[in-house]
Amino acid sequence: MNPNARNIPGYGVDADPKNRPGFPKEESPQLRGDARGTPSRQQSDAEVFKHGQPARKMPLVFGTAQPPQGVSGMLRRLAYKYPDHWTRHWMMLLLADRVDVAEHKLRRGLPRLAAGAAALLVGGVVMRRLRA
Amino acid sequence: MRALSYQGPYQVRVKDKPDPRIEHPQDAVLKVTKTAICGSDLHLLHGLIPDTRVGCTFGHEFAGVVEEVGPGVTNLKPGDRVVVPFNISCGACFYCKKGLTACCENSNPSSDVAGGAFGFSHTTGGYDGGQAEYVRVPFANVGPMKIPEDMDEEDVLFLSDIFPTGYMGAEMGGIQPGDTVVVFGAGPVGLFAMKSAWLMGAGRVIAVDLQDYRLDFARKFAHVETLNFKDVDIVTAIKETTEGRGADVSIEAVGCEAEGSLLQRVLGLGLMAEAGASTALNWCMHATRKGGVISVVGVYGPPWNLVDIGTAMNKNQTLRLGQCNVKRYMPHLLEHIRKGRVDAKGIITHRFSLEDAPKAYDLFSKKQDGCIKCVLSPHAHA
Repeated sequence: MNPNARNIPGYGVDADPKNRPGFPKEESPQLRGDARGTPSRQQSDAEVFKHGQPARKMPLVFGTAQPPQGVSGMLRRLAYKYPDHWTRHWMMLLLADRVDVAEHKLRRGLPRLAAGAAALLVGGVVMRRLRA
Repeated sequence: MRALSYQGPYQVRVKDKPDPRIEHPQDAVLKVTKTAICGSDLHLLHGLIPDTRVGCTFGHEFAGVVEEVGPGVTNLKPGDRVVVPFNISCGACFYCKKGLTACCENSNPSSDVAGGAFGFSHTTGGYDGGQAEYVRVPFANVGPMKIPEDMDEEDVLFLSDIFPTGYMGAEMGGIQPGDTVVVFGAGPVGLFAMKSAWLMGAGRVIAVDLQDYRLDFARKFAHVETLNFKDVDIVTAIKETTEGRGADVSIEAVGCEAEGSLLQRVLGLGLMAEAGASTALNWCMHATRKGGVISVVGVYGPPWNLVDIGTAMNKNQTLRLGQCNVKRYMPHLLEHIRKGRVDAKGIITHRFSLEDAPKAYDLFSKKQDGCIKCVLSPHAHA
């Protein structure tokens, strides 16, 4: 026993498990907060994936941030066909994450690439004319 | 609005993003006044959590002022100051009604492995988080707790996640008066687990970490004994100090980026052949006595981990794990803060504006400058 323990502020106030909010782990069912009953279903045009458990319905509320796009979106679409207890579901999502980063870097770099390519083309044409 | 934007592993920027809006009658939009960086945000930053999309905003610990409410929110109004649990919970489903608000089945389409949560990838529902000027808060009639008039946001900010999580870690340990409790991880969650173990009447509390500055802080903040696993073989050291048996309760507050085993870091973080390093879990199993309890609140992501489950089985141990059902703990822990038993905001060591978020992440990730906990203020100027 730590000899200074009893001097610690609040020592032992929650010693009785009945004083602890998480006891018992599962309480008698009751609505929480200001919930009035089953919520309504969110309406959205965003593409949202539901994992591949056929018995499970789309939940009533969902996030719509960063909808899928490009090749990474295709990989995610495929990954979500598999249930989430299959390894391939998660490994494909991790792969899609890396592809997503590469796609974004490419998109950011595209204007510069395009400008560079245009400069080379114009430069090439000018050089040919000068030599001619 | 300005918001943190993930750009790829180890890369975050602060960028302009569209303001969030009401998408469901029970949504609110919150003006974020305080938000913190969590240790589990580093798993996102390091690219370990599947379906973390470029452009997403992290942040699941935040407080602020209600800006707008949907027609289904009748208990909050614009101008109310609230702190918000990291779980997104409908309050009315099978799990929420039983008090398991971290397991809500109405907030996450993407997976059965977790309920909906703020700013933690599409694996937890695809919601942008609160490291931003504004955030969408679904089921605002259920989750957010009003901040008492006589308290400020920093007093209660950690009721959103880390104080309830640390407390639940101690609670799952089933701590009995006089128990020896070992807490692996002297980060913010571990610190609150240590304080909570004392509230529950532990006889001894021992903190384990790699960073000397964190162990120093733990001794001052939580009045614990400390062990640094770079100096000792940690399992041997714990057994030697507990009559050769091990701890009565071990609380794992480290998660999947544990140090301490090169093999686990290579397999789990380098090659991603498992979901991060299981080092701390295995230490818990070896450092806890037979018949003891291991309580896990450290975050591990899918797909799987190489865990010494046979040892736990052979030793008749009880393993309890879970994402914290924050809403259940908030009123009780608010009282502990009010009565001065726990100085929750005492763990804040660094404060930044939102614009300095990348710098804050860098500091927190590299554990520099004595950093324990960073808090961002999205509406303060850099």
